[in-house]
Amino acid sequence: MPAFIDIYLKEKTAAASLAVLRILVGVMLFASIVRFWSKGWIDELYIKPRYFFPFYGFEWVKPLGGYTYLLFAVCAVSAVFVALGLFYRSSVTTLFLSFTYIELIDKSTYLNHYYFVSLICLLLVFLPAYVCFSVDAYRNPEIQAGLVPKWCVDVVKLLVFILYFYAGLAKLNSDWLLQALPLKIWLPARNDMPVIGFLFNYDLTAYLFSWFGCIYDLTIVFLLLNRRTRLFAYLTVVVFHAITAILFPIGMFPYVMIVTALIFFSPEFHQRVIAKVSALFKLPQNFLASKKSYTFSANANKWLFIGFSVFFVFQLTFPFRCLLYPGELFWTEQGYRFSWRVMLMEKAGNAQFLVKDDRGKQVTVDNTEFLTTLQEKMMATQPDMILQYAHILKDFYSKKGYESPQVFVDSYVALNGRLGKPMINPETDLAKETESFRAKPWILPLNDEIKGF
Amino acid sequence: MILIVGLVTYGCSGSGTDTPSPEPVDQGKDRKAILTHWADNIIIPSYSSFKLKLDALTAKSDAFAAKPETASLVELRKAWIEAYNEWQKAELFDVGPGAKRAIRSYYNIYPTHVQGILANIENPSSSLETTVSFDRQGFPALDYLINGVGTTDAAIVAFYTAPDAGAKRIAYIKRVTEHMQSLLTAVITDWNGAYHNEFITKTGTDIGSPMGELVNGYVLHYERYIRSGKFGIPSGAMLNGVVAADKVEAFYQKDISKRLAQTAHQAVEDFFNGKSVKTDAEGPSFKSYLNALGAKDSATGQSLSKIINAQFAASKAKIDALGPDLHQQVIENNQAMKDVYTVLQKAVRMLKVDMTSAMSITITYTDNDGD
Repeated sequence: MPAFIDIYLKEKTAAASLAVLRILVGVMLFASIVRFWSKGWIDELYIKPRYFFPFYGFEWVKPLGGYTYLLFAVCAVSAVFVALGLFYRSSVTTLFLSFTYIELIDKSTYLNHYYFVSLICLLLVFLPAYVCFSVDAYRNPEIQAGLVPKWCVDVVKLLVFILYFYAGLAKLNSDWLLQALPLKIWLPARNDMPVIGFLFNYDLTAYLFSWFGCIYDLTIVFLLLNRRTRLFAYLTVVVFHAITAILFPIGMFPYVMIVTALIFFSPEFHQRVIAKVSALFKLPQNFLASKKSYTFSANANKWLFIGFSVFFVFQLTFPFRCLLYPGELFWTEQGYRFSWRVMLMEKAGNAQFLVKDDRGKQVTVDNTEFLTTLQEKMMATQPDMILQYAHILKDFYSKKGYESPQVFVDSYVALNGRLGKPMINPETDLAKETESFRAKPWILPLNDEIKGF
Repeated sequence: MILIVGLVTYGCSGSGTDTPSPEPVDQGKDRKAILTHWADNIIIPSYSSFKLKLDALTAKSDAFAAKPETASLVELRKAWIEAYNEWQKAELFDVGPGAKRAIRSYYNIYPTHVQGILANIENPSSSLETTVSFDRQGFPALDYLINGVGTTDAAIVAFYTAPDAGAKRIAYIKRVTEHMQSLLTAVITDWNGAYHNEFITKTGTDIGSPMGELVNGYVLHYERYIRSGKFGIPSGAMLNGVVAADKVEAFYQKDISKRLAQTAHQAVEDFFNGKSVKTDAEGPSFKSYLNALGAKDSATGQSLSKIINAQFAASKAKIDALGPDLHQQVIENNQAMKDVYTVLQKAVRMLKVDMTSAMSITITYTDNDGD
């Protein structure tokens, strides 16, 4: 290992930063799950649907029926345990696995920030976030430490950087910057908001928001890193995400980001937070006094270095896989997910399926017999889901006595204000096509160019 | 919040020099104006016009009940046709009071259930308030009762003058019209009451907002009740090619099915263009809103509202070319019916995908084509 890396890996910082992150992630996730549960979404999204859309390679992730509630309960309890720092390694591992399992059940519910939360939890599995201000460290003072390796905090910052910066890169396209799309479509729908609503009637506002959003994403982490701009940057984070929370139905995402960005504050800041919280709840104050430094064993250090390197190489390259596919990314969505492409498209569609066999059997499919409203909406604009659904239909009608059924789709999709047009070749028998990482030749071209990323 | 307002205001005043002065740029995007126009100049007047026809129908049915004979039957039938036709102009407002009371389901689910009607005649305490009873009442049930119970007018009159059963049968006609009256009265009362204010002041576009609900109902009406109900199902363009000529609207009267479809289609088009029921002048509407939003085909630059209106015109032309009796049309030249379905389907997509997408309104209804 080169010397400078060796030196870097030995640098220390306050364990308080990780402790604050641990608590906030735990509390935030607990709140998310309570919110999700109370809205009845567990039933609606994971129990009611008759069919599910697993991710490619994760088809083994199955819905759990009534036990889904148990899964959510496990997730919620482990989130509380993580916040408390109780049985940390087990609880954070459980949290990561249960949360990720939930997210892998159905593509229809994919959200970038769920992916982000999964990744943060994965990082936390390997980070010593329990050595300070935790029940574990309280019960076993042996493991208490006031310092942790600096890289343990830096990896979190790096992940946040990737999220923002890549989200910013994704906005460097002609629809976003030159047409102010989709904000030009979305903002007027909110022109009845008190006080500021009228602003959304002007295209200029959509342009300002688009450009500001893009510049914000590209620069915010640098401003957060710099001590002199940090406070201003953090206020911007709060305002930016508060605006998006008011304007768009994006759930917990704004709060997740507002909270996560605290990681950029100084070690002293996090120590003060913990001192304040301790005083407030009359908790033991001795955590901050620990001069001990947490160190990994040489062996663990080596494997963690390799593991985290692989992780970040993946994170840095995977979002660019879209470059390997022909066609317009927003249209084909080949390589769209897991790439921090957030709020970039107004896309709506309608897909009507025809199933038939050579013996003259034929049916126009009523999608509602198979899918929920959300699933149908998502499926209608995403080619890989259309393919998955075609196979659901193929299997269903095979059992219904169709002789090797053929499945065709008559699709119609509108993207960012362009007039709708067919997205899938209506002549393609989708029952014969299979999912893979290869390009899908049966996606019809958009016949329009969105320049940029 | 203050911070946000501050920032946004700052953001805009920062570039204040080229901010357009608050001139009528945003009038077309004023959803309150649209909702108000819809409520006051289209929806409520449509219900009022229909109320007149329904009152006439009720009067004629009372006259027929008092004196069942050919002349009063012919009068009743005329009033029924006029009311049925007028209903086509009000059925599309599947929002608020009308949606809450499912008035269209009580009024116009066809084909009507003959055995169910006969059973209800025998049992005067049978409920007309259940979903099962949808297809045993409303215009389609009246269609059967005044056109379908005999092959000639004399035979129909005889059905009601039969010494033992006649009175019960007449009583059912009365039950049906009375139920229609009570539903309509309730809907109109709501519209003239608190709902009016709710409708015009809740100006959001989210799920559950009046505009969201109205748009969903409007598109659903066009897709399921015009495209599928009036053309797709009878012609077998849907449902795997199973032709079902007897599923046309007004099956027993037959010769008005095309007229009803034309009226319904015209109502959808007029509503799109915001045509006032009172003055025929166009007001704030889907058209003006889409125009204000600048919705257009980016390839040709043509406005979305023009494209949709062109599609309406194409649909109308295809419908106009049909014979007056769609049952006969299915039997004689079903391809023309299927062609209508195809051309309507294009309009469905424009409304359901292009229009709602441009307006940023989520389609929440679940379409159940087919069975």
